[in-house]
Amino acid sequence: MIELQGLTKTYAGTNVVDDVSLTLETGEFGVLIGPSGCGKSTTLKMINRLVPLSGGRIILNGDDVTDLPAEQLRRRIGYAIQSTGLFPHWSVAQNIATVPQLLKWPKSRIDDRVDELMAMFHLDPAEFRHKYPHQLSGGQAQRVGVARALAADPEVLLMDEPFGAVDPLTREVLQAELKRVHQQTGKTIVFVTHDMDEALQLATRIALLNGGRLVQYDRPIEMMVKPADDFVREFIGQADLGLKLLSRRWVHQYQRPPSLEHHATLPGLDHCWQLDDAGRPVALEGARLDDDHGVTPVKPEWTATPEMSLKEALSRMVWYRVMVLPVIDDAGKLIGEIGMQGIMGIQAEAGSEVS
Amino acid sequence: MNGAIHGARRLRAASAGNGVLGVLIVLLIGLTLGMGQLEPLFRALFPDLGNPLYARDSFLNLMLAHIGLVLMSSLISVTIGVAAGLFVTRPVGREFEPMVSSLAAIGQTFPPAAVLAIAVPLAGFGFAPTIIALSLYGLLPVIQNTIAGLGTVPRTTLEAARGNGMNRWQILRRVELPLAMPVIIAGIRISVIVNIGTATIGSTVGAKSLGTPLIAGLVGNNLAYVIQGALLVGLLAIVTDLLFERLERRYSFGG
Repeated sequence: MIELQGLTKTYAGTNVVDDVSLTLETGEFGVLIGPSGCGKSTTLKMINRLVPLSGGRIILNGDDVTDLPAEQLRRRIGYAIQSTGLFPHWSVAQNIATVPQLLKWPKSRIDDRVDELMAMFHLDPAEFRHKYPHQLSGGQAQRVGVARALAADPEVLLMDEPFGAVDPLTREVLQAELKRVHQQTGKTIVFVTHDMDEALQLATRIALLNGGRLVQYDRPIEMMVKPADDFVREFIGQADLGLKLLSRRWVHQYQRPPSLEHHATLPGLDHCWQLDDAGRPVALEGARLDDDHGVTPVKPEWTATPEMSLKEALSRMVWYRVMVLPVIDDAGKLIGEIGMQGIMGIQAEAGSEVS
Repeated sequence: MNGAIHGARRLRAASAGNGVLGVLIVLLIGLTLGMGQLEPLFRALFPDLGNPLYARDSFLNLMLAHIGLVLMSSLISVTIGVAAGLFVTRPVGREFEPMVSSLAAIGQTFPPAAVLAIAVPLAGFGFAPTIIALSLYGLLPVIQNTIAGLGTVPRTTLEAARGNGMNRWQILRRVELPLAMPVIIAGIRISVIVNIGTATIGSTVGAKSLGTPLIAGLVGNNLAYVIQGALLVGLLAIVTDLLFERLERRYSFGG
């Protein structure tokens, strides 16, 4: 748990961080967001004391951070930054082992941990262990940066715009991986970004800062449907609010059992799935935008998984011109379906939340 | 792929360099030990000279004395230079940086001959004033390159080092020095090479070196002595330079 109490940073008479108080529970994914110069990075760096505090207190799992020697504190806190900050003269394995080595772990334990982390980030140890940072792509380097931050199993992970310098496609992949790693490890994460879509995608709590002050601290959905003021509303962006909401809803919340025979009388169920012996969907009868009775072979590109966001599900429906997607498990078996009704249902629900 | 081609080219360049270096080392040792064998050659080249081979001391003694002078003065330059460069790049010493840089620059602009002239009344003739002059002269490239090398370490790398819990000493030893090493070695290389040449003037104040036959030749109008001294000094400088190149390459990574 991290508590910021009246946190203040003063540079040359100006408060760049002004009386910020918030509490982030253990296991939460907190995102600090705001326009340039709002103090989000400064706030983050005060947590591991790269920036000294001017006023207020930071309590990390019961300890006031200013009571601990700075180096000791930082070894308890993972730290990942935008340009990765990897040590160019060290191999991938050495980079990941930075903090365990400072903590003088035995070599075998360090090696095991490095392998474990590389596997977690889909970096084949045989291929990448001995590579140097300049031999990695942007996405790979950033994975190594995050792996290094996690190496000594820190209590908290601080991330300062870690995906700011990678291309949009890679960023999406990295965001999905980080989300998975967060769910796997249950780490408390504090993440700085200026990208609202990134915040909505990842956060369990969003702190919106402006001019050094905390404007709103809320769960993502609340921030969208109950913005504290016009600044928040504007910052979130109204134009695609519907899509943003969809990006916070997951298929497993709205899927229904698959239709395995035609129900011509029931709305939205006038289609059925053909399965193979293993229970995998092979074709869809009906439910196409252009042809109500056609048979469409199922392709992996337009299947959905329970963890997928409804935004992505909708995107697949539009692109492949089907009204319903099969929801499959890890083995490819059909476990449900998600249709337009499921997706529209959310907007009705969000509307009711607003009122 | 680009890296592979680059690497292959470097490997080939390195093995060709090995051959050249080997030949030059053999030549250097051969000439140092066997200059006497060339007496007929010098006699043929300089028929007017009664004594075309420098014989007041063995070339081996002169070579060892010369290397001793350079080693000693370089050791002093490097110790003081790296220490000063480190000091002015730490928070405590930052304000001294302009002063140290200009002091070193003054040391460089002073001609070594002038330093010798000042040092002799203070330190007497021979070894000591030469060491003082050479050490001062070799200081600037070491200080400059130490400062420049430490300056090439990216800010984000330093931030990552601090953020991962390294203390100042660990940051210096594990991150800053290794990353600055190629540039620092390049500075030491310049310093040593310059001093190999400059050490010859030590002979004007009585320090034994490869400059001794050179000066004797200049004074006595004996071109053969000059050639014998200059040849060995030149070879020593080239061999040392190639060895440093190798050392620099070992400390550089990637690229």
